[in-house]
Amino acid sequence: MTLPDRSALSRRDYLRTLVAIGGATALSACVSESGAIDIPAGTDDPDSLPDRQHAWNDSLSRDDDGNVQPPDHHVLVPLALLDEPTDETRAQLEDAFRTLERAYEWSTDGLLFTIGYTPAYFERFDDALPESVDLPKPTALTASEDPAIDEFDALLHLASDHSQVVLEAEEGLFGDHDDLNGVAVETDLTGVFERLEDQRRTGFVGAGLPAEHTDVSGVPDSVPEDAPFFMGFRSGFEGSQATEDRVTIEDGPFAGATTQHVESLETQLRTWFEQDSHPMRVRKMFSPEHADENLVGDVGEKLTTTNGLTDERIDATEADARRGVVGHAQKAARARDDDGPPLLRRDFNTVDGDRPGVHFLSLQHGIDDFVRVREAMIGDDLDVMHANNGILSYIFVTRRGNFLLPPRSLRALPRATPQ
Amino acid sequence: MHDHDLDRRTFVQRTGAATGILALAGCLETDDDTDEDEDTGDPSNGDDAVPRFPEVEDPPAAVYRPTHRESMRMLEPITAGEYTLAPMLSYPHPFWLVTGGAGEDDIERVDPEQGRGVHMMFTLWDDETGIVLPVDTSATITISQNGERIGSPHSPWPMISQEMGFHFGDNIPLEDDGTYTVDVELPPIPTHTTGDLEGRFTDSETVTFEFEYDRAFREQVVGGVEYFDESEWGERGALEPMDHGHDDHDDDGHHDHDGDGHHDDDGHHDDDNGHDDDDGHHNDDNGHHDHGHVPYSALPPADAYPGTRLEPTDEADTDLPRSGDAAIFATLLESGSRLADGDDQYLLVSPRTPYNRVPLADMAMQVTVERDGEPVGDADGTRLVQTLDSEYDLHYGASLAALQSGDAITITFESPPQVARHQGYETAFLEMPPLEFTVPEEP
Repeated sequence: MTLPDRSALSRRDYLRTLVAIGGATALSACVSESGAIDIPAGTDDPDSLPDRQHAWNDSLSRDDDGNVQPPDHHVLVPLALLDEPTDETRAQLEDAFRTLERAYEWSTDGLLFTIGYTPAYFERFDDALPESVDLPKPTALTASEDPAIDEFDALLHLASDHSQVVLEAEEGLFGDHDDLNGVAVETDLTGVFERLEDQRRTGFVGAGLPAEHTDVSGVPDSVPEDAPFFMGFRSGFEGSQATEDRVTIEDGPFAGATTQHVESLETQLRTWFEQDSHPMRVRKMFSPEHADENLVGDVGEKLTTTNGLTDERIDATEADARRGVVGHAQKAARARDDDGPPLLRRDFNTVDGDRPGVHFLSLQHGIDDFVRVREAMIGDDLDVMHANNGILSYIFVTRRGNFLLPPRSLRALPRATPQ
Repeated sequence: MHDHDLDRRTFVQRTGAATGILALAGCLETDDDTDEDEDTGDPSNGDDAVPRFPEVEDPPAAVYRPTHRESMRMLEPITAGEYTLAPMLSYPHPFWLVTGGAGEDDIERVDPEQGRGVHMMFTLWDDETGIVLPVDTSATITISQNGERIGSPHSPWPMISQEMGFHFGDNIPLEDDGTYTVDVELPPIPTHTTGDLEGRFTDSETVTFEFEYDRAFREQVVGGVEYFDESEWGERGALEPMDHGHDDHDDDGHHDHDGDGHHDDDGHHDDDNGHDDDDGHHNDDNGHHDHGHVPYSALPPADAYPGTRLEPTDEADTDLPRSGDAAIFATLLESGSRLADGDDQYLLVSPRTPYNRVPLADMAMQVTVERDGEPVGDADGTRLVQTLDSEYDLHYGASLAALQSGDAITITFESPPQVARHQGYETAFLEMPPLEFTVPEEP
């Protein structure tokens, strides 16, 4: 494994690159770069942790406006089962996860993680998933996309503000690393899962992080300094996100679960930043009125806890389209209902493959919620030119995966119909 | 690949045009200051100056003659499925994006990020009918060199230019000289299609071509630029459509006004004659394109359409009434027309550029009808649907219940054509006031 040239990169960029590379060598480079960081320890009492794997919000920090801030570093580890699940492998997996929970505090300073299972995983069981779980196989959602489909068994999502933690946790589960933050690794995933290295995905989110990647082909120098996302604006506003309660499956054997969709996409940032003006980007990202009324600011700093979409602006989507341009957020917000936004976004930027992109990870009650929002965002019903249809002409979907994130009690190789 | 043949011919032509390059040297701006920093150390540098791009002071809010004629290298057209695509390459140059409103503030000039690279264009047409597809397709371009992808995928802009008509294009920065491979993914076309085009264009296709980016290319496209006499800049009028056909890429033809039939009036239509329909020759070989021939996206002349031609209520000094200098042709097809629902009539509105009859795509418009001062039908107006027909080409249409002679029909332009513009079109088709027509007496 070749490590990046330390002298050519900023510290943060170096750490980000190490996460992308992964493995023991990257981990030791990361440790020596970071020095001794005090990582808060976890707990010996698993019952003190939330029942829901996706219960992250109470453990996340908040920005000055009170919006939940996602962890800085993310790794998605695709997993293929080596053998059919048994009670023994279930116990091994649960032990391994408890090791992580003992080693790291359930927080952004420590480690947050989930494991999700694909429709392909559940096909091995005689019984189908209960009706309370909406987990179809992913499909292409537009005529112009031809995504690869995640057909492996499970996806582990590791997230922390410390690159060292996500690397170390992964190595503890799959590698030779036998000490996690002072906790001895007695059980790992060896023999249960194989890690699919070629489909491993990594990323980052946070003010300033995208602008540090202008060395990557396709990331122009004009990415705003303070932007937390490649497209140049804040997102994840409290008012635009589903609550964890909303996305939780409440009934049936998987009560406490949620579904996860991961849409991996490449972004065209050169034309976005070099050709479209700031007002045009605001029109396309939010709505024409956001630009006309100057509601957004450089990177979204004027928006506080919502993306500023009133019912009137959402209702104006069709008319705005006929006037020439329609906003991405405006279109997608049409899928809101009485309970508010249906998706809880936990997406992050990536430069996997040395290309700018997004791993759009979203949680929702059922996959149909995701499809409904995505179709509203595609806006086939709108009378508007493709190039002026939100951000559609700047994003290129490469992969899709659907996952069930069971409650913690069922996270280890669940049956399709748990008792 | 056929490109190699083309390149040989190009080479011969280029050496023949060497004196032209020298003569033009004075027109070239050494734009080195924009990209000097990143160019040091590259032995192939020093020849990537882009031609100057003079703008017209205070151009009319109308189609006008640009300051110069670009030159380009044409590559061999490629057929994939139902489509044929002709790639064309020029030097990176400014163009304008329409940013979603009406009025001059809603158009935005886009300058190339760097001198090294190409302005990549392609014309897309239906191989069966020869109709250029002025459609809103979400095509995706990916570029690679030696099997390595360069940059991110991207969607080219739909564009109009006086010489090229409707096409797709964008500036693409390139760093190194060499051979580049371009993949163009064409998804199914979402535009409403009728006639022989109904049910067509439902498959995705990928077109692949290669091109050389090198000093010879730069010399060809830079050396081939023709600057017009400054006294002509900004005059109302338009350049003739480029003669794509008979010589694959005879740039010298641009300089040789006497030797090229298309330029015998200096490529310069006088606005006063008001003849939007005077030359029906652009499309005369639909469906029979020669090897290497690229059709031009000219709509049929007004008198080629059937039905009852609507008369502009206000006197117009042009054959077709203009809104924002767009020539608006409107005709009422009788009930029973294949385009009309049931017993309705079909209102066909065909907006086009003056002079060259380039279809104006990606507009939104609606009509209201009044009879004796009272609204008929939907008082809020009926939306016209952008439609691509095998016979009438791109138009906007709606079925309407029986209209009577004397009815007043107002066409309102909710949005002007959103297509990007080359020089000479960027001040036209922006602010488009409504036009009123009258249904004439039966002949």
